[in-house]
Amino acid sequence: MKRNRTLSVALTTVVAAAGLTACSAGGGSDDGPVTITIMEYQQTRIDIVEELIPGFEAEMAEQGRDITVDLVADQLTDEQFRTKITQQFIAGEAPDLVDMGDSFVPGFAGAGYLAPLDDYLEDWDGWDAYRPQFKEASVRQDGQIYSLLNTSGVLNLFYREDVLTELGVDTSQPETWDELIDRLVQVKEATGDTPIVLPAGSAWGGGTWNEGFQPLLGGTDQDYYDAETGTWDLESPGWAAVFDLYAELAAEDLLPTQDLLNPNPWQPTKYEKFPAGEIQVAAQGTWGWKFDWGPEGATPIPDLTEKVSTWQFPGLRDGDEPYGWLNLGGVYTIPEASDHKDEAMLLAQYLTTGEPLAEQLVASGAASPRDDISDVEPYASEPELLQAGVDQETSVFVPTGDGTDQIAQAVATATELVLTGAEDGEGAYRAFVEDATELLGPSLVKQ
Amino acid sequence: MTSTLEAPAPAADLRPRPVRRGPRNGPLILLLLGPSMLLIAAFIVLPALYSVYLSMTNTQLTGFAARDPQFVGLDNFTYLLTNGDFLSSLGQTATFTLFSAIIGQTVLGMVAAILLSRPWLRGKGVFGAAVLLPMIVPEVVASLAWASVLSNNSEGTLNRLTSLFGADSTDWLQVAPLTAIIVVNIWRGVAFAMIMFQAALEDVPAELIEAARIDGARAVQVFRHVTLPLIRGPVFLYLLLTTISTVSVFGLVYFLTQGGPGGQTRIAAIYIYERALQFSQIGIGSAASIILLVIVLVLGMVYVRLAKVEV
Repeated sequence: MKRNRTLSVALTTVVAAAGLTACSAGGGSDDGPVTITIMEYQQTRIDIVEELIPGFEAEMAEQGRDITVDLVADQLTDEQFRTKITQQFIAGEAPDLVDMGDSFVPGFAGAGYLAPLDDYLEDWDGWDAYRPQFKEASVRQDGQIYSLLNTSGVLNLFYREDVLTELGVDTSQPETWDELIDRLVQVKEATGDTPIVLPAGSAWGGGTWNEGFQPLLGGTDQDYYDAETGTWDLESPGWAAVFDLYAELAAEDLLPTQDLLNPNPWQPTKYEKFPAGEIQVAAQGTWGWKFDWGPEGATPIPDLTEKVSTWQFPGLRDGDEPYGWLNLGGVYTIPEASDHKDEAMLLAQYLTTGEPLAEQLVASGAASPRDDISDVEPYASEPELLQAGVDQETSVFVPTGDGTDQIAQAVATATELVLTGAEDGEGAYRAFVEDATELLGPSLVKQ
Repeated sequence: MTSTLEAPAPAADLRPRPVRRGPRNGPLILLLLGPSMLLIAAFIVLPALYSVYLSMTNTQLTGFAARDPQFVGLDNFTYLLTNGDFLSSLGQTATFTLFSAIIGQTVLGMVAAILLSRPWLRGKGVFGAAVLLPMIVPEVVASLAWASVLSNNSEGTLNRLTSLFGADSTDWLQVAPLTAIIVVNIWRGVAFAMIMFQAALEDVPAELIEAARIDGARAVQVFRHVTLPLIRGPVFLYLLLTTISTVSVFGLVYFLTQGGPGGQTRIAAIYIYERALQFSQIGIGSAASIILLVIVLVLGMVYVRLAKVEV
């Protein structure tokens, strides 16, 4: 009997100890040593975040917190990243802090993979420095905020000023697409090139919507998504107008359709022909100054700022004015399943403040979503980025919610019909409506 | 040729009758087969059953719909079987399988096996190694090698060759994408066909070949009326295996064309990947997988049935 009692006491002790250990490991909110992980999937950002992590660890040590950060560096394309992180979210194995494109957030937040950050942001002074349009755009369909912007910018038309000048083509801001198309035809007749690249087709993935179609649509029609009801108006007139524009550019042989149909279409267009001056106009975000064509970029263009300049997107329909498209670039998100949300948020706040943020902006070629770092080096010495920061104030943006992925898919498929010559603008629009209606389902389509 | 050849007695008749095992061997059989049965159940049967379940739901990986998947019965199957893109992908899969596996690999594999069985052929080792090499190269490496061969610029191997005849550079993966991936798959799969057929040819009794020749049969007649009937079993087994593996080819095509341009190489495996993982519609992707599985099962049964036809 005594032996049994001893055994039961020992067992109870072991179970209690195991329970306490489990509580301690799972809580993650005490001041003991904590290791958190952050995921980056673009080389530029991998490099810069790796440099910044020791500063965060040192700052935490000064505050008496023992936090170690492991960088999960995994160089991937956007689509590869999306596929991989989705599996990790589902398995509950995602890193504690995930850096991703803002366009991914509605889908992941909607599925419940991301933790709401509202409480953290309310208690953080830094949130007050975020520009109002970004704070507004960060609010998702359910009224909560799931992401903290780390980079932003403006999408415009980048053009080869040196080439156009040499050809005698007007380089002033085109007011309308008709005016721009006339100039593009001039270039084509002089060089035989296909002079403009707008993301289109399935091969460009989500970029067809984010960096091509949506900026064109949002400039002429801001009623295609109703944030109040969370529905998409597929009959809003801008859709057909943008499909017509794509069809006209393709029909006039102004778009590099073959390149756009190939895998990795940005490679021959933005990384080969634009730097070579064989594509003269490209829809492009602020990151073009650094990430794509800067001295440390994917394909540097020597004397970039002398050879390349930007136009705003011209007006598409009667009465439209030229405009830039506000780009919500990268964001930090925290998985709902993370055991270290508090520490991950501390890291996110550190990386989006002062010099760490300035260094990231310069490395990525982005404008600041905050209004308090224009004089922080090295950002303060980047006139193009500073100008983009100013341009953000007047740029157009239409926040969207659930169904963005499905719309992006339907747009990619329909623009591909234009590229292959299977449909004209009207046919592509009809195919888009049919596809999008089916993919979205009745609850997400405005009746 | 009027003489008829009698096929040799089936090998099974010459073998000793198997001794019937008693029930006392049950635990041993369970011990030997149990682990593999468990693994098959855990990693094949259960996921397959879960796939069947998913195929009857509207499960998505992202968006609000991901939170509350609904049972939709056969809606996904109805959608797919009336969907032009899916039917087109099935058509492309059939073309790809027919020309690359059933015709290309089988014919070239047979030719290679026959050549290697010729006593007069010199350098068999080098020839065999050259044919085997594509099979042992990892899929990614093979894809990258062919991407280089078919590259659209003047540095591409194929363009270098055609330039010798004065031709301009061609973007082969644009101009003839389906043909390109068919050629690549033939190149990669011919070794397996050769190995299977070589083993089968070695089992053909030499005296039958000799007798046919004495009767005046030409080489083609010997092959058509003697050799081929005797190796029909291995040929159909190979056709079954290569059909299954070719229908599920993914990496080779994804690395080279990603299903493009314009969906011209969007074979079923690429379609399923796009739907399930890129567009997050795991319900529809699962339904497409089930349809593909059924098609492969039907093909398999046809092959098995054909293989049993008496010579």
